[in-house]
Formats: sequence, C-alpha cells, structure tokens
Amino acid sequence: MIWIIAWKNIWRNKVRSLVVILAITFGLFGGVFSSAIMKGMVEQRIKEAVSRETGHIQIHDPKYIDDNEIQYVIDGEAGQLEDELDSLPQVKAWSSRIKFQAMANSANAGTGVMIFGIDPEKEQQVTEISTMICDSCGTYLDGNKKNQIVVGKALAKKLKVRLRSKIVLTFQDKEGNLTGAAFRICGIYRTSNSMFDEMNVFVRKVDIAKLLITNPQKYQELVISLISPVLVTAVQDELTGSFPELLVRNWKEIDPMLGMMSDLTVVWLYMFMTIILLALGFGIINTMLMTILERTRELGMLAAIGMNKRRIFLMIMLESVYLSLTGAAIGMALGYILTLYTSHTGINLSSFAEGFEKIGYNPIMYPYLDLNFFIILTVMVICIGILASIYPARKALKLNPAEAVRTE
Amino acid sequence: MSIIEIKDLKKIYNDSEVAVHALNGVNLTFQQGEFAAIVGPSGSGKTTLLNLVGGLDEPSEGTIQIDGLNIGELSSRKLINFRLKNIGFVFQSFNLIPVLTAYENVEFIMNLQGYSREKRDARTMELLEAVGLEDRVNSRPSKLSGGQQQRVAVARALASKPKFILADEPTANLDSQSTSNLLDIMEKLNREENITFIFSTHDQRVVNKARRVIQVEDGKVISDEVIQSP
Repeated sequence: MIWIIAWKNIWRNKVRSLVVILAITFGLFGGVFSSAIMKGMVEQRIKEAVSRETGHIQIHDPKYIDDNEIQYVIDGEAGQLEDELDSLPQVKAWSSRIKFQAMANSANAGTGVMIFGIDPEKEQQVTEISTMICDSCGTYLDGNKKNQIVVGKALAKKLKVRLRSKIVLTFQDKEGNLTGAAFRICGIYRTSNSMFDEMNVFVRKVDIAKLLITNPQKYQELVISLISPVLVTAVQDELTGSFPELLVRNWKEIDPMLGMMSDLTVVWLYMFMTIILLALGFGIINTMLMTILERTRELGMLAAIGMNKRRIFLMIMLESVYLSLTGAAIGMALGYILTLYTSHTGINLSSFAEGFEKIGYNPIMYPYLDLNFFIILTVMVICIGILASIYPARKALKLNPAEAVRTE
Repeated sequence: MSIIEIKDLKKIYNDSEVAVHALNGVNLTFQQGEFAAIVGPSGSGKTTLLNLVGGLDEPSEGTIQIDGLNIGELSSRKLINFRLKNIGFVFQSFNLIPVLTAYENVEFIMNLQGYSREKRDARTMELLEAVGLEDRVNSRPSKLSGGQQQRVAVARALASKPKFILADEPTANLDSQSTSNLLDIMEKLNREENITFIFSTHDQRVVNKARRVIQVEDGKVISDEVIQSP
C-alpha cells in the first residue's frame, strides 16, 4: 500500500511534480542522445578502423614489431598457420601481407609510405579498401596486371598525381640494396581517415616480392577478420597457444589509441550521465524538501498512529524514485527513439568533413547505444532517486509527532 | 481492571529560557470502557497529558503503565509498534491521508499491522458502517464534510482494535450537527463494544456526554468526577 500512496503523493502537486519530471526528462533525453552520438562516433571509428586498417587480429614475428625490418617474416611455406586459420569456424577470412616502409615519388613530390603487398582477392575479404574507390577513381588491383598501385586520395593530392599516373617506389631489398620500380595508379581510395589515406599504398604481393628478392610465401603480417568481434579474445588465445613463437595481437593492441578510446568512452559516458543525474538530484532534493515541509502534519500523524521510521523512509524514498524514474523513462524513451531514427538516417556533418577526416572520423555520424547502457542508466537513476531522498527523509524522521500533528 | 495507570507524571519543557512545567505530578487511573473527558483552559496541560499517555512524548518524571507495561521503558521502535497495536488516535484536524479514499484510510492502519486482505476488507466495511459512512467509502477526504472526515478518523482509530482511543479536541472543527452525530457514534461504540475513549476538550457538548470529567489546571488534576458509572 505504501507503494501506491507514494505514487499518489507525487501527484498531489501536479505542477511541481511535472516541472521536476520535465527537468529530468530533458536532462536524460539530452544526456542519452549526446551519449549515443559520442558512442556512435567511437564505434564507427573502431568499426571502420577494424574493417579498413587493422582487422580483428594480426600476426607477426615479434621482432618485426620492434624493428620493422623485412627479414622478420612469418614463413607461410610450411602452411601450418594458414591451415589452422582455414579450420577455425570463427575466422571469416585472412590475408597475408608483405609490409614495409618505402619512399613514393612522383614527378612533383615525394613522401614516405607504408607498402602493403597483398593478394587482392584475399585482401578484399578482410579489408574494405576495395569498396572505398569511387566509380570515377579507378579500380582495385587486378590479379593479372603487373606493377599497379592503389593509393589514398590524400597521398595522390600530396604527390600531385592522378589516376593512371606513375609513381616510383624506392626501398631496400632483402640484401639491403636500394631498389625500386615505377607503379601505375589503378585506383584512388578514400576512407574517412585522411592520415591513413596519405600513408598507405597497396600493390600486388607477387610484384613487390620480386623486387625485394624474397619469397611471396614469406610475409611480415597476417591479418584476420572474424565472423564476430566478440570472438576476438577466444581466437587470439587459441592462436597464441598454437603458435607461441608468433605475436598474435587484437585490434586494441595493434592500435592502442583505438583500444583506449573504446574503453575510455564507456567511462566518460557514465561520468557524463552521473554529472547530469547529480545536477537533477539536487532538483529532486529541493522538491522533496518542499513536500516534507507541506506534509509535516500528515507525517506526524503517520508516526503517531504507528507507521515506523522504516516505512516512512520507504514512502519518501519511493516518491523520490518515482519522480526520477518517471522523468527518466520518458527522457530515455525519447532519447532512444531519436537514436534509433538517426542511427538509420545518420547525422550528416559533411560541412565539417575535412576536419573530421583529419582526425579519422566519418562526417556522417550514426548514433548508437546498447541495451546495457540503458540498464545501467536506469540503475543510476534509481540510485540518484534514493540518494536524493535521504536528506528530506531524515528531516521527516526527525519530526516530533506530538508537535507535527498540531502544525497548521 | 485499570488499563492506564499514571503516577506522579511531570513534564517540563526546557526549550525556552524559562522552564515550563506543563504537567506537575499527575496521578490518574483509567478503567476499560471509560468515556472520559479531560477539560481545562488553554495551556493547562491536557494535550500534553494526552501526548504522554499516547506515547508521543516522553515524561520528565513519573510513569505511565498501560496494561501493566511501563511505556517509558520502551525503545523508540518498540513504542511506535506499541502505539500501532494498542492506541487509537483522533486528532483535532482529522489528519486523514488526502490521497486515499475513506475506505483506504481506514484500511491503511490494518495494512501496517499486516492483516490479510480478507480481514481488512471485512473490518473496514464494518467500521465504516458503524460510523454511518458505508455510502462514502470511495470518497477522498476533500469530498467529505468535516464531520464525515472525523467519523472516518474514528473508524481508522478503531481499525487496529486498540485498548483505548485518545481524542484530542475531536469536535473543535465541527459544527453542532456534526459534533452531535460524532458524539453519538462514539458513545454508541463505547456502550455497545466497551471501547475506552479519552478526550481532551473545551467543548461543553463533549463534557456533557462524558461519564467522567477530569479537570486540569496548571499541570495538575484539580478535580476528577465520575458522572455516571460506565
């Protein structure tokens, strides 16, 4: 019955309760939608980075990570690693890469780049670079054509080259001799990360192996795409167990900034919501204090007739929680609806595209929040409701029933 | 057998610079089934006496025994529980819960006592019929007259099957007709069900109905007159 009385009590002063509920509604709506934008941006960045840059898991010779020298390779000739990957049902696709640093020069300019010597067919199953080439920007690497190269738009701009222009790649071969060759640009890709576009070029593994005087079956990097990101740890552990001499890293370890961003965003979102809820909590305290003041006589009567302190506290706490939860439920529902809608339509901030791309973000944002966020937020709202009731409830419990019942 | 025994009861308020002796050595005994009025001018100590008997305040000296139990020795928690089970209160300002209907107001105290739904339903209807409000069970206090509200308060006070009912100026806010109706109901409950009523009052109409009148002045009982045997 106390639950019902508490619910009815909050509607005794409809205007005052509605003002508090509206404040909570707008606070939570703004908080939820802002969180969805932040979370969506980060998730999108991670998703894009994983699908275009890192894959879910990468395998290297541990020394390669320290020195980036091409002699530190994974020997694919034995085929054990590849066989294991082919047998794992969690692995969607994998691709091996000859990967090293080089100089790229055009007739106009030169810059350092990272060369990815790839098997185009396999690489397309692991990364999305092939889909980042627009209709008028050429095609992805053809399996049969020699010395073709796919470059990023930012690099093309820097080197002042166009589709079908030639660029010269210069690097050291396996023996340490300077070597190089001219490559014709067959495609120009553009991701949402202009830094990535400026640094990375893709050529056929067989072309680059010849120049390096190395075996294309020996490569520096093996990148794996899984059927689900949640399987990363399990597959990583399994591969580490099977190939202890190799370094098996997940995307968080490959790009620690990305990993930190993912973890930090969650912490930041909850801190952000905590600040909003604390601010709203003071509003609730104020309302509850007014309520206690107005109901002094009634509270005195309840204590007089034998309602114990625990029940009085429970009643006031429930009123506070009901106020909080009503506003929060509406605010969260509105925030969820807007998040759901914009997660399909996207929020287009193309006018700031250049700025976003420089820091690796897509200018079209897709807000996103998972169910866990709403569950934890609901628990936080209940906690704030309870916390906000403690001071007013203590005031109520300190009332002397004999005096309170005679209050005018 | 006496249900209330008050011995050498004193209450001194030290809130202001000068100590106020609200009660100054009161000795009283109440028997089961009494219909007693405590009368006296404002500030004489009648409400203080009622508050102390009801366990709403603590005496400075002296003892109050209810059915042999010294309520001054009870902890705050036990005292609340004791009030819930043993004492019915009727207040001057009715003090009903405004968000509940007449029915729910009466039912509420039984809910606190942990009665089953069936028992609550049966007793609530019985009590509302006893105070003549069976047709207003679903009305909220704001839709009831002062007299009707006070009748609901009486029904609520009886709901917990208390040993006695303390009524502090129960007719102070009522018109003549409502006062008369209320007193008739309380007198009937007293006669037919042997329920003990103790009033503090200024109202001569209440005094006229009482079968025992205790005159209090300056914190002392100056007369204690039994008008008619219970």
